[in-house]
Amino acid sequence: MSDATCPVTALIRQLEETLNSGRMPTPWNRRITEEILDLLKDVAWGRAGADHLPAIRELAGSLRDDPPSSAGIETGRQVLAALNEHGEVFRSHVETHNCATRDCVNLAPAPCQMACPAGIDVPTYVSLIGLGRDAEAIEVIRRDNPFPWVCGLVCTRPCEFMCVRGRIDTPVSIKFLKAFAAERALSERHYKNPPQEPPKEQKVCVIGAGPGGLSAAYYLALKGYGVRVIEALPVSGGMIMVGIPRYRLPREVIDREVAMLQELGVEFRFNTRFGSDVTLEDLKAEGFAAFFFAIGCHSAYKMGMPGEEDFPQVLDAIDILKRVALGDRTVPGKKAVIIGGGNVAIDVARTCLRLGSEEVTIAYRRTRSEMPADEEEVEQAEEEGVRLAFLTIPTGLTGEDGRLTGLQCLRAELVRKEGSTRMSPVPIADSDFVMPADVVIGAIGQRVDNSCMTGLKGLEWTRRSTIQVNMVTMETSIPGIFAAGDAVTGPATVIEAIGGGKRAADSIERFLCGIPQPKMPPVPVRRGRVAYFDIPASTKMVLKRPEMPLLNIDRRRTTYQQVELGYSENDVREESRRCLRCDICLRCGKCVEVCRDKMGVNALQLGYFDFDHPVKTDFRITAERCITCGACAANCPTGAMQMEDREGERILSLCGTILNRQKLLFCEKCGATLGPARYLDFIRKKTGAVVSVSNDRRICDACARKESAKVNVDIMPV
Amino acid sequence: MSKYYLFQDTKNCIGCHSCEIQCKANKGLPPGPKLCQIIAVGPKLVGGLPRAAYIFMPCFHCENPWCVAACPTGAMQQRASDGIVFVDQNLCVGCKTCISACPWGAPQWNPETGKVVKCDYCMDRVDQGLKPACVTICTTHCLRFGKVEEMTQIRRERHAKAVAALEHSDL
Repeated sequence: MSDATCPVTALIRQLEETLNSGRMPTPWNRRITEEILDLLKDVAWGRAGADHLPAIRELAGSLRDDPPSSAGIETGRQVLAALNEHGEVFRSHVETHNCATRDCVNLAPAPCQMACPAGIDVPTYVSLIGLGRDAEAIEVIRRDNPFPWVCGLVCTRPCEFMCVRGRIDTPVSIKFLKAFAAERALSERHYKNPPQEPPKEQKVCVIGAGPGGLSAAYYLALKGYGVRVIEALPVSGGMIMVGIPRYRLPREVIDREVAMLQELGVEFRFNTRFGSDVTLEDLKAEGFAAFFFAIGCHSAYKMGMPGEEDFPQVLDAIDILKRVALGDRTVPGKKAVIIGGGNVAIDVARTCLRLGSEEVTIAYRRTRSEMPADEEEVEQAEEEGVRLAFLTIPTGLTGEDGRLTGLQCLRAELVRKEGSTRMSPVPIADSDFVMPADVVIGAIGQRVDNSCMTGLKGLEWTRRSTIQVNMVTMETSIPGIFAAGDAVTGPATVIEAIGGGKRAADSIERFLCGIPQPKMPPVPVRRGRVAYFDIPASTKMVLKRPEMPLLNIDRRRTTYQQVELGYSENDVREESRRCLRCDICLRCGKCVEVCRDKMGVNALQLGYFDFDHPVKTDFRITAERCITCGACAANCPTGAMQMEDREGERILSLCGTILNRQKLLFCEKCGATLGPARYLDFIRKKTGAVVSVSNDRRICDACARKESAKVNVDIMPV
Repeated sequence: MSKYYLFQDTKNCIGCHSCEIQCKANKGLPPGPKLCQIIAVGPKLVGGLPRAAYIFMPCFHCENPWCVAACPTGAMQQRASDGIVFVDQNLCVGCKTCISACPWGAPQWNPETGKVVKCDYCMDRVDQGLKPACVTICTTHCLRFGKVEEMTQIRRERHAKAVAALEHSDL
């Protein structure tokens, strides 16, 4: 998609070429074409309103049909053909201010937004939070993700990995800003559902009340459809409720955000398992027209070790987490060994610790750097006293009288295998040892528990026994049945499930309305363009990502209280000011090029522009060398770099970061602005070679012209 | 100096500004920049009578142009063949140093392109053997364009006539 040309830009180029080539001789045609061009430029720059496309169509029609001129007819047809063929793209430019090809520079989404599986407009909401407009920020987030608070606490934050600020120092703490805004908006009672469309006749049934199912339910309910959610468990939330421990995500957070769905009229049926308590036929008989399966991955993979079935003390992580989440507090064992290296392994280890296990060890086949678990989670687990045993391959179990006593293991070494990107662990011969354990917990992955769906004839499954879907539309092989979430992707993240649910809601609506399904995956939608706010360069550089304050270690080892205590309000507002506003600045580097190569001033040190070779960035350097000529601003295609005269000063800013600020000098005659002394010195130095007298009088060019006109009158022969 | 001369007969100029309009139309300029400009001087009392003069101010195409010296990018150039001073739009980055450097206010700012524009005697037209746009439209034919050596002749004749006219009026 990124290699493709935007049809809007392509049409603009065609029309410009026609106008410049002189092929269109009739002034009338030229005028109409120029008008169309102006309107198209508005579309490309996100300035267009609802009238623009109809107006373009009308003008193109008159070009085609009115006074005959072959060039006019051809151009009119060209414009109409582009509008007909790429109507959706033109509309997305107008309605959502989005151009996925990045051709229309003002409309390209920022890297963080592109990275988000749900496509949240990150720069917009981060800026809103920076302005203290938390409720508006939540509104922006909820257009793409109904659970900002949940994600603010547990998202794997792909956005932060793409954050451009990370190339300067550390990424903006996008994840937690979201949680803060959600919490603040809820506490101030400003967390509200957007207006719902009028109710529609059709009803949709969502199977599974996890993040995927609930997201689809939310967007369908907003569109006015009747939605019923069926859930086998007695609680809503799915894996975020029974998979993520309470010390990371308090139950109240899920409950409050799910309650927002009930407010929209979504009906919940708990303790209802699809396939046994209710069947597809029952539901169809009740009038449900479409079905959305988001049943998750709730079944653990067996470890396949000898003795696994013999000992009751061999458990799986998902079960323990579910039991604990539902209120069970029995300690699984004094010495717990957890097998696996993912987030679930860490979660269950920390849960065991809190349940009272004395010794908790995670046995992982590879090393720390290969662990799929979140780095911060691993650190926090270690702080709490979880031991990590790397390069350890479990081979069997030892025990007496039906009681487990230890885990047999082999040491391993890492070997690079051909065709594999990950280093593979290979056992070292004769390195057997036994890890003492009275409970062994497997956390080596989950799969879809497909027992409930065996009744669905014609449903296709993948090789990994997940539901086979069209990833663009989330349609399964059965018409009217859609699926998303872990049940489709295998164990994945909350945000991916939310993205899938949102996409499915859109496809379900199209299915119910009989509109053809899209061929390309939807692109992230720009939700606004918040004006940036001033911040001095030194502040922009000095501000550091705040450390997350944590609960004291004793409580972390004994209770389920939330570990991450959250930033203070001040931290949050400051943190949002670190954002570089990549939705406006595209890091095209034109400013740097002009300043360094053309002007020879080299005042801009913006190394973060270059993704492949990030060099040092320092916004403060600019003020040392910049002559405020404004060439960078004049060449900026998006208006990110701006130079303006305010209160007797010339100010150069990049997305609000004030790079330079110079006192202005004014014309002695009319008071017009001349520019700062440093700028005038630069010119004087340049012209010094040709003029011997220094230009002592400071007058503007308009006055200079008038002066010389008067001189001309005096010397003119009458 | 360029080898061309743009001569204005101030006595005949009525200050209609047609030259400015034709200039801007020819270059397709937005509101703002005026490559040539008619500046009204006066009215002031001359011999008890109010008199005003309308002075045509294009670029003078200096021998040693300060704008060319000031330009850091080499966009502002003097054509070797005839001395016309012009801006190469592809090289201009919009730093405005030429605008500040010029003592006559000739280089102008084009806010639409973010670059400098200035009078280049319509060199594309001149190269085709045509006159600059402003000259072609002048209502009173007070603007004339040509080689410097031709123009001196015109001026000389004009001055002679003026002197003669004065003597007549005295009689």
